[in-house]
Amino acid sequence: MATADLTRKETALDRLAARLSPADLAVPTFLVVWSAVVILPLLILVVFSFFQVRSYQIVYEPTFATWQSVVETGRWTVALRTLRVALTMTVIELLLAFPFALWLAKGLRSKTIKAIIITFLTIPFFLDVSSRILVWRSILGTNGIINTVLTSTGLVDEPISWLLYSEFAVHFGMLGANFPTMVFPIFIILALIDDDYIHASGDLGASPVQTLLHVIIPMALPGILAGIIFTFVPLMAAFVEPQLLGGGFVDLLGNSVDSALQQIRYPMAAALSTVVVVLLGLCLGAFMLLTRNRLDLATIFSALHR
Amino acid sequence: MSTSTLPVALVDESEIAPTIRLLRQASRWRVWPGVAMALGFFAIAAIYIPLVWLAVMSFSARPLSGIPYPLTLANFSLLLGDERWVPPLWTSIWMSALVALCCMIVATFVGRAITRMRRPGPVLLLTLLPLFVPGLTMGAALFIFLRILMGLTLGLWSIFIAQLVWALPFALLLVLVVASRFDIRLLEAAEDLGASPWRRFWEIEMPLLRPGVLGAGVFGFLLSFNELLRSLFVRGIETTMPIYNWAMAASQQSQVPIIFALATIILFVTLPVMGAFFWFLFVKLDRD
Repeated sequence: MATADLTRKETALDRLAARLSPADLAVPTFLVVWSAVVILPLLILVVFSFFQVRSYQIVYEPTFATWQSVVETGRWTVALRTLRVALTMTVIELLLAFPFALWLAKGLRSKTIKAIIITFLTIPFFLDVSSRILVWRSILGTNGIINTVLTSTGLVDEPISWLLYSEFAVHFGMLGANFPTMVFPIFIILALIDDDYIHASGDLGASPVQTLLHVIIPMALPGILAGIIFTFVPLMAAFVEPQLLGGGFVDLLGNSVDSALQQIRYPMAAALSTVVVVLLGLCLGAFMLLTRNRLDLATIFSALHR
Repeated sequence: MSTSTLPVALVDESEIAPTIRLLRQASRWRVWPGVAMALGFFAIAAIYIPLVWLAVMSFSARPLSGIPYPLTLANFSLLLGDERWVPPLWTSIWMSALVALCCMIVATFVGRAITRMRRPGPVLLLTLLPLFVPGLTMGAALFIFLRILMGLTLGLWSIFIAQLVWALPFALLLVLVVASRFDIRLLEAAEDLGASPWRRFWEIEMPLLRPGVLGAGVFGFLLSFNELLRSLFVRGIETTMPIYNWAMAASQQSQVPIIFALATIILFVTLPVMGAFFWFLFVKLDRD
């Protein structure tokens, strides 16, 4: 009996040891640490907007004072302007990216060219942002290359001033940087669509526009939504473009958050950032509701191997 | 796009409304792939024209004017004479190496675990969440959490956290691409043949995961090396290369020639590395 008990105890210990092995512990530990540095700060940001700073001290009493001042000082117009700019750019990027992604996934036959284009779309993630936004000044400015060419060829009499330090310049600066984030999700989902569906639709008499509207777009919807989120949410917090190309005329949420932090108005910075966090939450929630049971990990990654 | 050559027999086009008929005919035009291509290349040009112009203007005597002439090497000699950018560069290099190493280790463990889960969705979403959070928002959130709420002194450690939060999701994606194709039966076969867990991992799994893990390292390094917005808010008194560039770019001082020259040098170092890496990635993926 005693030996039997001993062996049973040992197997229990073995099982415990097996369960505590590094591989099994890795994920829970990682998730706890990850939540502490990603989720927790975002939650605190939201909560912080209900506190106040009085004489450089934070008063931990829930209050709507910060939100009231957001309304009273007219800062909500900044949020509206940011929303307008972000939505405009998202629509522009979508209009540019969807046809291109369709061509990349279904039209382009050469694997080499596809690899080169994907490489070109990935490289911008790894480039320093300030210098390549700053250089637009020497392209769009009144002494810039565009105006120099236009005036020297006599197409215009005097330099076009709205090219730089304007909403136009900010939009233009955002164009390149936010394009890959829109293309990639759409490209991946389009590459997943079986060519047989498209051919079947054509064989049954559908015109290309019908195939596009009734076959391709419905099947590509999760990718389109992901692209919109990937592009729209970062645009809501754009900071470098308005700062370097807006010339102080284009005040967006990002600039307001930055200046609020510098003026030690932390609850205000938190409140303005909360707008972005809430939008992000809404977008992700809507995305998960709409794509429920339509996507799983295996299919997404199988798309990358084609 | 479908370019079916079959005769359209199921629809008699003469019987449908003229506007719809026009739409059907227009959608068959051969120009649409060309239009799609042109739209994409326009956007890609918007990314790369500034880079080319940046390289050109770094040789210009007046970098913020519209005309590169007269060309000069003065900016580069100015850069060599100025030493303020050297400490930030070293900070960035060491920081990025550390972030890359951390990315490789964590992404390997988490990545191979995720592919073995029955419902990886929630874990995956949580891990990839920072991809969706704008840099400025994450930076502000980390600043308020670590500095204001916890009262900690920010410095290199908080820059490390901020950059890891940004780089790790990408690294994990790369490991997942490779790990999701890994055939788990190989490990079972090794176990049947008596290999210990460590040998199974190191001699069978690791060699097959290596492209993904190396990719995680390269991605981690480059993303961390160029990360600005998150580091900017949690930097304390430290300065990395992108923060230095930002300070110079935002302050409208005469430092612009220097950062153009510096950015050009960094471009000429990183672009071939990235080109080689992607060539390796695609050739490798194709061969497998």
